[in-house]
Formats: sequence, C-alpha cells, structure tokens
Amino acid sequence: MSTPVLQVEDLHVSVAGTPVLKGITLTVPAGEVHAIMGPNGSGKSTLAHVLAGRPGYEVTRGSARFEGVDLLAMAPEARARAGLFLGFQYPVEIPGVNNAYLLKAALNARRRERSEPEIDAFDFLALVRAQMRTMQMDENLLTRGVNEGFSGGEKKRNEILQMLVLEPRLALLDETDSGLDIDALKIVGRGINTLRSPTRSVVLVTHYQRLLEYVVPDRVHVLARGRILRSGDRELALELERRGYDWLLEEQSAA
Amino acid sequence: MSALERLLGEFASLGAGTGAVRQAAAQSLRSVGLPARNEDSWRYANLRALEQLPSFLPAAATPALATAPEALALPAPLPGYSRLVLVDGRVQREHSSAEALALAVRPGVENLARLEAVSDQRLGLIATAFATEPLTLAIDAPLALAPLALEIVSLTSPSAPASYLNLTLRVAPGVQCQLVERHLGGARQPGLAGTRIDVTLAEGAQLQHQRLFAVSGATLLLDNLQAQLHARARYQLCHIAVGGASARSTAEVRLAGAQASLDWRALAAGAGPQFNDLMLTVLHEAPATRSQQLFRGLANERAHVACNVDTRVAPQARDAVVVQSLRGLLDGQGAEVDLRPQLTINTDAVQARHGATTGKLDDDLLFYLLARGLEPAAARALLKSAFLGEVLKSIEPEALRRAAQQATALRLGDLALSEPWQ
Repeated sequence: MSTPVLQVEDLHVSVAGTPVLKGITLTVPAGEVHAIMGPNGSGKSTLAHVLAGRPGYEVTRGSARFEGVDLLAMAPEARARAGLFLGFQYPVEIPGVNNAYLLKAALNARRRERSEPEIDAFDFLALVRAQMRTMQMDENLLTRGVNEGFSGGEKKRNEILQMLVLEPRLALLDETDSGLDIDALKIVGRGINTLRSPTRSVVLVTHYQRLLEYVVPDRVHVLARGRILRSGDRELALELERRGYDWLLEEQSAA
Repeated sequence: MSALERLLGEFASLGAGTGAVRQAAAQSLRSVGLPARNEDSWRYANLRALEQLPSFLPAAATPALATAPEALALPAPLPGYSRLVLVDGRVQREHSSAEALALAVRPGVENLARLEAVSDQRLGLIATAFATEPLTLAIDAPLALAPLALEIVSLTSPSAPASYLNLTLRVAPGVQCQLVERHLGGARQPGLAGTRIDVTLAEGAQLQHQRLFAVSGATLLLDNLQAQLHARARYQLCHIAVGGASARSTAEVRLAGAQASLDWRALAAGAGPQFNDLMLTVLHEAPATRSQQLFRGLANERAHVACNVDTRVAPQARDAVVVQSLRGLLDGQGAEVDLRPQLTINTDAVQARHGATTGKLDDDLLFYLLARGLEPAAARALLKSAFLGEVLKSIEPEALRRAAQQATALRLGDLALSEPWQ
C-alpha cells in the first residue's frame, strides 16, 4: 500500500491554553478528495491552519505526516514548497505586491525545492493565462495588488488560481465556497476538479454540501467539538444537509 | 561653549570677506538661536548630533585629484537630464553640462526676511552663513529646458567637516521643469551636510522636484526647503531620506496663489542607530488650493524615524483640499516611528482627509507569503518593499527610481531589489 499524502493521528491542539482539537485521526490517500464538514467553532479551520503551520497553535499530542514526512517539524514555507497548499477562507490583501509577482515568486520557490530552474517569463505568462481562463478571471487582475480591491468571489477564485499554478500535492481549502454565488461556485468547483489527479489530494473544509455537488468527495468527515464524529461517503453530506448536525452531537453525547 | 557660540566664533574666523548676506544670516542666527528639544517642532530631532559637531567650518576647495570622477563615485548621468555637479558646495564645471552651467552662473539672491519669518527654517541660516558659493537657478526658458540633475557630493575633511548648499530656484510663469537633487558622498568622521533651498513658482509654473538623500557615513544632514507657489502653480516634491547618521529635513510650502497645488511624497528609512526626522509645514493661503501629503517611514533595528506634518488652512482659503496619509512601519526591538499629523482649518468650505498609522509587519500578511513558499526573510523584504513602493513607484525616470531603491536597500540591508508593484 502506498504512503498516504496526509496521515493525522490523535492530533490535539490548543489555542491560548484552550483545547480546540481533541484527537483528530485522518488519512488522505493520494488522488482522493476529502470533505471536512461541521458546525461553527468545531475546529475545521484550526485543523487546516495547524497543518499549514500557522503560528499561534500549540500541538499538545499526536502527529501529522505529509507523504511520510513529519509535517509538524517543518516550517510553514517548507510545507508549502514541499507541495502543501492552504486556500484561505479570508485571503489577505497585499497592496504593492502584484498578483503576477507573488505567483511567480511562489512558483519559483517551489521549483527551486525540486531543483528545477526558475520559470521563463514567457512560459510563466502562458501558464497563468491558461489557468485564468479556467477560472474565468480578467487578466487585469494579474497586475493588481494581491487581492487588492477584489470582490469576495474574485479573492476565492484567485486562491484557486494560485493552487492551479502551484500544482500542490495536497490542497487544504478552508471554506473556499463561503460567500460565493452559484456561478462562482461552479467555477471554483471546476478549478478544484482540474487539479484532481491520481497523485494529488484535496481536503475541502466546508459548512455546506453545495460545493460537493460540483466536487464529488471520496470521503466526508464530520468534525465537531474537536473530534471527527463520523466518516462516510457523499451520502453522509446529503444526510447532513437534510438533518443538520444536532443529531450527531446528540448521539455523541449519549455515547 | 555652546554649539551656537562655536558656530558664531568659527564664522567670525572667516573674516570680512563673507559679504553682507552671509553676515546677516549669522546675525540672525545669533538672535533666533539654535532649536531646542523642548520646542514642539524639534522634539524628535537629534539635536545632540548638532551639538556634538566638531566644527561648522566649510570644506576648502577640493583638490583636483579628489574631484576626479572615480574619486567622487558619481553615478551615471540620468538619461535626458543636464547635469550640475557640486562638490562641497562648489560647482565642478568639468563634470557639469554646458546647459546646466548656463543656468547656474548667476549669483545668489537672498531673501533672509522670509527665512527669519519662519523659525523652523532657522537651520537654513547656517547654510546661508557658511555656503561659499550660493547658487541661483532662474528658469525662464519657455518649455525648452531639459530636465536638470544636481549631483551634490560631500567630501569634507576632519579639519573642515561641513559642506553647504544654498540654492535659490525661480521658475518663471507658465514654465514646466524637472529637477533632481542627489546628495551623495559622506565621510567616516562626523560632519555636516547643510542645505538651504528657496523655491518660487510663478503663476502657472510647474516643478517636479525629486530629492534623494543618500549620503553615507557619519554625516549629519540638515536640510531646509522653502517654497512659495503663486496662482495655479503646481509643485510635485518627492523626498527620499535614507542617508546620513542623522538627518533632519524641514520644509515649508506656501500655497499663496489661488489653485496652487502641492503633491508631497516622502520616504524615510533608517537602520542601526540612525535618526531620520522630517517636518513639513503646508500653508493654504488662497482659495481652491490643494495639497496631498504622503509619507512612508520604516525603522529597522534601533532606528528612529519621525514625520511631523503641519497643515494650516487660512480663513481665505475657501474650497481648499487636503489629503494626508502618514504611515510608519517598525521592524526592530528598539525601532521607533513617530508620526504627528496636524491639521488646522480656519474655514468652513474645505475638504480634508487624513490618516496616520504605525505598526509592525502584519503577521497575517507574513503567514500568507510563507504559506506560498517564500522564505521568511524574503517575505519580510517583500512586504517592506511594497510599503515603501507607495512612494518609490512615483519616481521618474526609471534610472532614478532604481537608484532610490538601491540606496534604500543599502541602508536597510533587507529590501527586495525588484519592484513588486510592477
């Protein structure tokens, strides 16, 4: 059996001394899309950010391995260069750094990691333009500051554009669907599907199953109260849509 | 002995050949005195550096050998610009272009009454008293003038550690011109580079004035600029302050005629124990005058950067527009940025926007860049470049912008040399 892209075992995380994740165990094999669903405050975003290496989270127990390597021992930038991508729920605006500049710097950082030469300017533009077409983005956004003055939908599309250009081995998409209208949701879904391949994996963090209409997950996990309460296939997401989360929480309380 | 007593004693030692104007400046200094830390406009200035100066005496005429181009380390001429080179306050004819020399040969015309009227400009009196070759540029050629670059080099010596520039610039009605000032050189021993610049823009005149202070070494920079704008005159003033061990720039711009406008953009960056202090006073004295004031200050390590902008709108300045944005960035344990926006409005019909913020590099922005694979040092450099880019990107031509960026990077040691806004 091949090494999973992501293997999380008994992960406990605290923020400012308060336990948020209380024993997460999760395995994402290569080529699979996993959805993590759950109510507000359940720890979904915390899981994504801890895996990406954001400061401010204390791992108190457990482990996380990325393609067999201890992820928690790596600096955030090393995780990114190794092929882990975090799509932000609230992408920041960076005035003065234009989109193309950041994309190229990020891509070259990744290429250097793989001992590849920096990408030629012409090839870079061709690559980015092709992916912008996939995301139905205006090329003018390339020369604007990163996310500067972008609408909510443009910011989310820009995150997926970055993902497509960087071609990560594992994409952690933190509520990429939030705030999107139905058309934008389809486009984002198409972008995520473009990345799907037998060697790449995606973890979708989401509240609702509507994104899963466009990106059909291999597995669905329900995260609540800092734990994964249940895992299943796409049917689980549909059931959650019908019944909400309370019944699962009640079951857990009863147990 | 106080610094003022030493200064006046050294001026007296120059003898009677100094002329009436210079002597009047020294006399004015005697009466107004040097600024003190307890004065509001000088609270952030490093006046100790002024007190500790070993001497105010101007450097003697520099030997020919020292003024060889390689010894001066002159930068390449800016494309399309005529050039006037000054070394320790003296015009170097052999390094200057004929067009520039033709403009600059007129004797200085002083206006001490204006200088004395503004006590914050009193350090300009030092340059007036000690500058041996006051210079006047009277630009009256209708639209025919090539852009002019002043290359101002300080060499100095331990026995005469000061160099001075006293420049009067008059732009005739309707004339558009571009002026670049580059302050270069600097010595390892403590010294002074003092400037006093007096600008008058006649009706409808336009001046793009870009100033780069990149003096190295232990030099104390004392810069003084006064400008008076008549009706419909437009003044674009860009000030890049990255040089010297300690620097104070004091500028006062009077919008004296209706519809006169000022676009002031300034960058001050410091590292190590450097002091960099800017003060701008903008006086809206006529109707429909406009001013934009943009400042970006960055303090690394233990540096101290300050910016004090005092804008006053007079009762008769109806329909004035003021836009003020001052921002500071800190990146060091002992770094300090002081911003002091002041806006005094004495009329009802005015549009004014202002904002002043100081902070550290944003952790969310840093993490975003790290999450895209950038090294922490590269991410910090990129964010700093982007911050300063708000001023740098407005500099033209490209060669000057590159020079300004390189000088800033050299001072800070950790700036991205590329232009992330491009």
